[in-house]
Amino acid sequence: MTDVTTPKENLVMNHLVSLTYSEELTPILERYVDALIDGRIVGHKCPQCGRVYVPGKGYCPICVVPTTDKDEVEVSDHGTVTGFTIITPVAYYGQTETEPFVYASVLLDGSSGNLGGQDIVGVPHDQLHSGMRVRAVWKPPAERSAEGVSNRGWGSVASVIDAFEWTGEPDADRSVYEEHIF
Amino acid sequence: MAATDIAVVGYAQTPSVRMARESEVQLLVPIVSEALARAGLDRREVGFTCAGSCDYLTGGPFAFVSNLEAAGAWPPISESHVEMDGAWALYEAWVRLQHGDIDTALVFGSGKSSPSKPEEMWAQQLDPYYLAPLGVDPASLAGIQARALLDSGKATERDFAEVVARNRRNAKNNPNAQVAGDYSVEALLEAPYVRAPLRAHDFPPISDGAVAVVLARGDRARALCDRPAWIRGLDHRIEVHQPGMRDLTSSTSTTLAARKAGYDGGPLDVIELSSTFSPQELILREALGLAADANVNPSGGALAANPVMATGLVRIVEVAQRIVEGSAHSGLAHATGGQVLQHNLVCLMEGD
Repeated sequence: MTDVTTPKENLVMNHLVSLTYSEELTPILERYVDALIDGRIVGHKCPQCGRVYVPGKGYCPICVVPTTDKDEVEVSDHGTVTGFTIITPVAYYGQTETEPFVYASVLLDGSSGNLGGQDIVGVPHDQLHSGMRVRAVWKPPAERSAEGVSNRGWGSVASVIDAFEWTGEPDADRSVYEEHIF
Repeated sequence: MAATDIAVVGYAQTPSVRMARESEVQLLVPIVSEALARAGLDRREVGFTCAGSCDYLTGGPFAFVSNLEAAGAWPPISESHVEMDGAWALYEAWVRLQHGDIDTALVFGSGKSSPSKPEEMWAQQLDPYYLAPLGVDPASLAGIQARALLDSGKATERDFAEVVARNRRNAKNNPNAQVAGDYSVEALLEAPYVRAPLRAHDFPPISDGAVAVVLARGDRARALCDRPAWIRGLDHRIEVHQPGMRDLTSSTSTTLAARKAGYDGGPLDVIELSSTFSPQELILREALGLAADANVNPSGGALAANPVMATGLVRIVEVAQRIVEGSAHSGLAHATGGQVLQHNLVCLMEGD
């Protein structure tokens, strides 16, 4: 029987791979980014089912019908927290956070899907809850950029919106967010 | 015994371009709809969906998942994906149709080569110990293959140039082609080597593109299409991964796939080969036993448009389209995967 406790020399061959990709944003994302830098959040509204995708996809994945600039709509920068996680960071390569932080999903008014991974500021972590009404804290116009928005991403807003804060409004009705808890 | 009553009844493809601004799924949405519309089939009626694409090419993990949105995955559908050319997605759908419980399938293949550096990315397809760390790219391997072919006495550089001139001439009639025109063999032979003995024109263009196919079986195929392109035989065979361990001047796997698909070497109206480097057309012609005057690559083939991961399925569409439209009765399409013709698929088609 093999003695599994005996240390053995491991044969390791390093093969570090670096692949380069470069591409322009799709025309739809280009318009989305231009609007973000302008302080507006735009998406596409499906002409068939009325769902609003932020950013627009160029089609509705539910109805499989194309959407174009003509279907572009602006959504609010106010929304409702549908769900959240308080992440306590552990040290690993690339981790820059040291203190517990918020990772919240925000359903913007007028959008059919959540904006994921948002920070909520000004609210003690133990008071965060689904249904909380929040609004975007925009970066100053001069600091906004297209960084973080890519054809492979999910429409990140991190390069234009720092975080979300409580609006002071009462909570949204459960029916607003119960289908969007994620 | 494989079924012989499965047919191509709908198809659509994008033009092949050097760089498409749209994302891969945005390329797919209109052509999947067009292929279904051509067959007169509602997407909710499709029995099985299978796609071929490559996440390395896109540069995004799980990129293939968003491609599925082009098929409409709500309400939930039965689907699969191959990290291979769409021709292999068609193979899987063809096998699935033989279960007998469904009679339609949707297949698509898509690829954007423009964002990546193909010479960097495709080197990763090789074994991680000997070849990938060297950064051996497809063009270099094709150069080695071409050199072996010259040394074997089976071909000359003039033969390579003649393949290029003919394919580019044929491509003039193909609105989806990327490279087309009249070129003299003499002028082509004056071009400098890029990977000796290969010149730039012996390489395929770098392409973005997508293609979709609708398959149907038996009476359903006849109901959906006046002249279905029946798949009479379909087979694929693979050779060893290490290019140094096989004879690069021949394609045993193609010969075997053709035989298993039922091709007897007889005359065919149209043949479409995925020969992405010009010498490969000569190797494939020999492997299939084609006559010198065979109608090879009337579309211009992969030298005129090479949307990787769609190129092979485009070959099937080029043959099927000619059968459906009535300009051909019989044809053979070939697809390839891996490096320098490692893996080969042969699809034999026929009209009623």
